[in-house]
Amino acid sequence: MKKSLPIGIMVLIGIVAFIGIIAFWYMSTYNQLVKLDEQVNESWAQVENVYQRRADLIPNLVQTVKGYAAHEKETLQAVVEARAKVGQVTAGAVQNVINDPQSFAKFQQSQGQLSSALSRLMVVVERYPELKANQNFLQLQSQLEGTENRISVERRRFNEVTRNFNSTIRGFFKSFVANRMGLEKRPYFESQAGAEKAPEVKF
Amino acid sequence: MKNLFYKVGVIVPPLNLRGGQGAFIFLFLTFIFSYSAFALDLPPIPSQYVYDEANVISAEREGYLNQMLNKLEEESSTQLVVAAVSSLQGTSIEDYSIKLAEKWKPGQKGQDNGVILLVAPNERKVRIEVGYGFEATLTDALSSQIIQNEIIPEFKAGDMESGIVAGVEAIINVVHGEYTASANVSASSSKKKLSLFSLLFICGPLTPLFFLILILKLLGRRHFAYTGHHGSSGWSSGSSWGSSGSSFGGGFSSGGGSFGGGGSSGSW
Repeated sequence: MKKSLPIGIMVLIGIVAFIGIIAFWYMSTYNQLVKLDEQVNESWAQVENVYQRRADLIPNLVQTVKGYAAHEKETLQAVVEARAKVGQVTAGAVQNVINDPQSFAKFQQSQGQLSSALSRLMVVVERYPELKANQNFLQLQSQLEGTENRISVERRRFNEVTRNFNSTIRGFFKSFVANRMGLEKRPYFESQAGAEKAPEVKF
Repeated sequence: MKNLFYKVGVIVPPLNLRGGQGAFIFLFLTFIFSYSAFALDLPPIPSQYVYDEANVISAEREGYLNQMLNKLEEESSTQLVVAAVSSLQGTSIEDYSIKLAEKWKPGQKGQDNGVILLVAPNERKVRIEVGYGFEATLTDALSSQIIQNEIIPEFKAGDMESGIVAGVEAIINVVHGEYTASANVSASSSKKKLSLFSLLFICGPLTPLFFLILILKLLGRRHFAYTGHHGSSGWSSGSSWGSSGSSFGGGFSSGGGSFGGGGSSGSW
């Protein structure tokens, strides 16, 4: 009874246990990465939501401003054009934006242009007291401010989640699993894109 | 200034590590900086609806507000919290407010019907932060109107607490005007009581389980009596054991609501 198992069987048990542990580790890492990937996608959806919200506000805003400040054709035109460009970038390959750094940069650039066109418009508007007293305009203005704030909130959350994803897939062992799953480093939002920076005002 | 460091931290990660140790140390340092900027020293979750760090609300008005806000939660499950802070710690009120909302999480989970009225008297800034589920009712435009028409005139006249009370009353009116069809707490608590009884009936044949539940229930009752005695009544007073002392009971307990930056800010 006291006789120990033959060495061969013990080695075999050891190998099986080792494989089991590796398999378990692989599975849990796989699940973790899937979850993180999904988090990035989710917060990206939020980012797109709030940008879309802003784009939806613009026609109304332009229409209202036109009624009072028809002279500001150029500024208004810039907003309309920037919005159209945002529409083009977003329409093409939505899912690819966060997987491809180039289209991500393009997305960010077009949104940044819209941001600065919009803030130029809001500066110009200061010269029209009648417009500033218009109830409809005041509502649109507060909605636009709220939306800009939502954008910065969702961008920050996206950056946090993405930073977590990127550091995890580059981990020493986890990078093997990430490579097999075809997961790659995701691009971040960078702050100089203009969304948070007030534009220079030239007179 | 602190924001600037944070931005630097965001820009840095694409930096190529092949640059060697210098780059690595730089990366490390920026992370330290970005983290120290990140860490706003936010106040802990309060046990009442009014958190008056800046000392701008008299005890009398504070009691009135707490009572009103407790009633609001009982009627509509909406959690409105008032915070008057002594410092924004160098960040914008929007940034402070969303981080406070992420920590305090007012509003019911899933419904996200929380609101924070944040006042920073020293920076002369005020903000209404609206939870995801409440954005359609308390719109940005409406919050802006409340700030401009109800709160700021009083603040400008130097009467902080009247401005806060006016703002709270206005928000409550918004809730009552358009949010009547929401969950009623008294109805749901009677439902809870019923389900407890049916649970006992189902478990009747299973004697050991029955005893376990009985013991747990007794323990729970003793626990409740204990906390009740100390007067630190939290949400437990809303459960099936009669909350007779409504003037005393209630208090804020974070419901787990989420926020997405909706609302409006103002300054005076």
